[in-house]
Order: sequence, then C-alpha cells, then structure tokens
Amino acid sequence: MQTQPLSQPTLTSHLRALYALIRKDWKQYWRYPLNAVSQIFQPLIWIAPVYFMGQAFSVDGKAIGFSQYSGTTDFMSFILLGTVLESFINAVFWGMGYALKNDMDSGVMESNWLTPIPRLLILVAHSVTNLIVTAITSMGMLLLGGLIFGFSASGDVLKAFVPIIPMMLGLYGFGFAFAALVMLLREANTLVDVSSFLVQIFSGSNFPVNALPRFLLPVALALPLTYGLDAVRAHLIGTNTILPLQWEMVLLVVFMFVMLWIGTATFHSLERRVRTLGTLGQH
Amino acid sequence: MRSEMNVRSLAVPGFFADVQALWAVVRREWTIFVRYPSWIIAMFIWPVIFPMGYILTARALSGIDGSGLTTFQNTTGLNEYVGYIAVGTMVWMWQNIVLWAVGYSLRNEQMRGTLESNWLSPTWRFAYLLGSSIPQMVSMFMLMLVSGLEYAFLFKVDFDGSLWLTLLVILAAIPSVYGLGFAFASVVITMKEANAFVFLVRGVVMIFCGITYPLAILPGWMQTVSQWLPQTYIIHAMRTAALSTEGFSAIAFDLKMLLLFGAFWLAVGYLLFSMMERRARQTGAIGQY
Repeated sequence: MQTQPLSQPTLTSHLRALYALIRKDWKQYWRYPLNAVSQIFQPLIWIAPVYFMGQAFSVDGKAIGFSQYSGTTDFMSFILLGTVLESFINAVFWGMGYALKNDMDSGVMESNWLTPIPRLLILVAHSVTNLIVTAITSMGMLLLGGLIFGFSASGDVLKAFVPIIPMMLGLYGFGFAFAALVMLLREANTLVDVSSFLVQIFSGSNFPVNALPRFLLPVALALPLTYGLDAVRAHLIGTNTILPLQWEMVLLVVFMFVMLWIGTATFHSLERRVRTLGTLGQH
Repeated sequence: MRSEMNVRSLAVPGFFADVQALWAVVRREWTIFVRYPSWIIAMFIWPVIFPMGYILTARALSGIDGSGLTTFQNTTGLNEYVGYIAVGTMVWMWQNIVLWAVGYSLRNEQMRGTLESNWLSPTWRFAYLLGSSIPQMVSMFMLMLVSGLEYAFLFKVDFDGSLWLTLLVILAAIPSVYGLGFAFASVVITMKEANAFVFLVRGVVMIFCGITYPLAILPGWMQTVSQWLPQTYIIHAMRTAALSTEGFSAIAFDLKMLLLFGAFWLAVGYLLFSMMERRARQTGAIGQY
C-alpha cells in the first residue's frame, strides 16, 4: 500500500516551522518576567565572590600575581568577559539539551517528533531564543559590570567577533550530540550542569588556563573554547595568548568542522536508537 | 424544598494516617530520586568541581612567584585558601540543593499536574513538603561525607578539627536551612517563578556570607546584612569545627544563633505554607502553572 503524506516539506515550510518554534519559546520565556530579569543578575552574582576574593589578593585594585599568568592586572574585566562568553556557550548547551527535557516533561516531545520537520531544525530553533536572550542580557551584564566592577575593553570589537563565529558553530556540534544523550538518558539537569561547569573551568572562563596544574592543562588545551575565549580576550583587553592568534583561528575553524560532523553523526545515531527503543515519550 | 444529602467519607483521618501519608511521600520521593542514576555522578563530581573554580582562580590570583598569596595572607591573616573555600562552598551547595529540591517539590507536582489531585486527598498537606525533605536530608548527609573525603584526599585539606563538633553544627543548621526551604516552596507555588527566587536567595548567600573570603573584606553595610543570615553562622561554625582545634567555645555563639534562626525559619515556613494552602483553596489556582 502506498501512502501519500499530506505534508509538503519545502524550505519555506521549514522556515515557517523554525519561526513558530522560536515564537513559542520567546513567548514562554517572557511569560515569566522575573526569571528573565534575574538572568542579567545571575552571572554577576556568580562572579561577585571572585571580585571580593580578588580584592584580598590585590594591592590598590591591581592583581599583580594574576598578571603574571594573564598579562593584565584587571582580573575583573578578564573574568567578566569570560562570563559573558560562557553565557553564550551555556545558551547552546541549555537551549538544546534542556529544551528537549522540557518537551519530554510537558509531554509534547513525541508529537513534535512526528511532524515532518528535520529534527536538527527543532534543536537549532530551541537555541535561537536562548541566544537572542543571552545577547540582550549580556549587554545588560556588561553595562552593570562596568558600573559595579569597572569593566573596560579598549580593543577592536569587530575583530573580536571573528573567533566567536567558528567557536559558536562548533559548539552546535557539541550541542547536537549532547541533546541526543539527554534524549537517551532522559535526565538533563545533572548532565547539563556538570558538563557546562566543567567546560567553564577548563576553558578558562574565570582564570588563565596556564594557572591550571600541569596534569590538567591538556584537558584545557583539548577544548576549542579555550582558544576562542583566549582570542576574544586578546582582541578586547590585550591579554597574553596561549598560541599565536592566527594559529588559534585555524584551530577554531578545524574544530568547527570536526565538531559539526561528529555532533550530527552522533545525534542521528542516538536518535535512531531512541526511536528503536520507543522511549521518546517517556521521561 | 430543601434537599440534603449525607456524604460519608471513606477517609479515616488520624495521626497514624498522617504518618502513613508522610511515609508514602518519602517512599515516592526516594523512588524518583534513585530512578535517575545521574545523582551518583552529581554526588561525586559537584563537591570537587564547584570549589575547584574558585580555588583555581585563587591560584591564578596568587601568581607564579606567590606575590598575590603574600598579599592575601597579609590582608586576611589566613595561611591557606583551599580548605577555607572548600568548606564555604560546601555550605553554599547544601543551601542551594535544598532550595532546588525542597523549594521545587510542590512546584514540580504542579508542573506534572498531580498537585491538585493530591491536595484533594484527605491527608495532612504539610506531609507533601516534609516528605520530600527527608530523602533530601539523607542524600545531603551522603554528599557531605563524600565532600569531606574528596577534600581530604584530592585537595589535601587538613581537617584538624572535630568530627563530632562538625556533626553538631550540621544538626544545628538543619532547622534554618530546611525552614528556609519550606518558606521558599510556599512562595514559589504562589508566585510560580521559581528560578528567579532560587537565584535571588542563593545569590544573597553567595555574596554576603563569605563563601570564598573573610567577611572583614566586605564594606560595613554588607557585613551588617551578613549578620542577619544564618548561613554566615553555618559557614563560620563549620570552618571552625572542621579546620581548627579551637573547640566548642569557639562555635557556641554560632550554634545559639543557628537555633534561634532555625526556630524563626521553621515558624515562617509553616506559616507561609498554611497561608498558601488557604489561598490556593480560595482562588482555586493550585493546578495552574
């Protein structure tokens, strides 16, 4: 028996689906305005203990010890910049893996999966709202950070965007694989929290990675995000880099292709496994 | 004509029925908890990675030649920062987990759509909140034990203090930590925006209670605020009990303050729960999310 599907998937229909998903997430996000506002303050709260701790290591607000590793005595600008970039990284982690868990909990995952939309498109759509919100909250964070902690960036902002692009695209590869893992294990919180926290530590979001003990340094150097954060900081606040900047860019581009390829392949393989097991609707 | 219908309820409420209901909630929560084995990973990984972020930042601030560390020692009078940060962050983790687990217990039921039906059963309603706290306490004791072992073996922290005094501090801290959790759960179920409240409360603890630095570094007004937070006393008492040999007299004031705060927060928690329960029945909004 031949069945003729009623759906007529085209590029336009995919874009419409993408728009619908983004709109839904956007609407849901702003439905809880207190949560939205707290997103600006949340990262600032995380770095406040570092600020006070840093005061204890500084003389006249200058962290001389810190500059031996990083090339700058302004540890708060270093950390604030790392925190902002980390928010974008988390947006992709949370945006995809956690959104799938939310869909599972609210019982719409299986029905969404039955629609004739590419599954990776569903994942990308889930991250878009998060990225837009992160861009807005990051601006608020930098403004507030400037007022409270004295953030200042004297470098070229446009140049700083060049390493961000391959870094974020490569991160989507990570995100795809991670989302598939969440589908399989059906528990996102621990996975998301632990992995994003580990990535945050080892990519040097709060400190220069050369301050890591020697046995942990290879972990940091194996993460593409380390080079992304390093290059952005070098462009904006003139810190020392681990490798020459052009080499860091080459590495980021290579990592981007590799991660997208591995991430997509892992997602397809695990998603097939979940459908075979029939556990898509369970949570 | 007035018609009357006598409805005979099948429920037999009483003390034993309440205990049975509480036990049922405890069992259910425990089953859900062990159903997702990732908690084992969390229990072993979090105590290491959470303080590690701050410890490594302190290491970077110390500098290659240790000049930053000398400044730190001169400013704070402390010889080392690893044990100091590890204990401070452990207390913060405890409060944070209680806020998420106990504070979210009713909200999670609301999200799953089971809160309204549970509310209709003839049980002691506080059992839903209390019942979710008991497995949580057990898992927290396990987390603290694992944390202590990991700090001693991985971070080489010297626990020169007394194990019994540390246990005493934990016991004295339970009423304020969980009382705050009960109050929090009731506010969240009414206001619904749980994340924002967790971020606010844990943020206050993070900034004002000195999890990574001595309170003397804070400006005067912030030090005043910190004196009104029980977590300040928990952190101080825990550090003294676990890391120093000063004995009971050094933590006696902290214990007294913790018992006072505990009584206050348990009363506030129960009061807010009763108010929420009454309001929920009046507005009929308990099933909404």
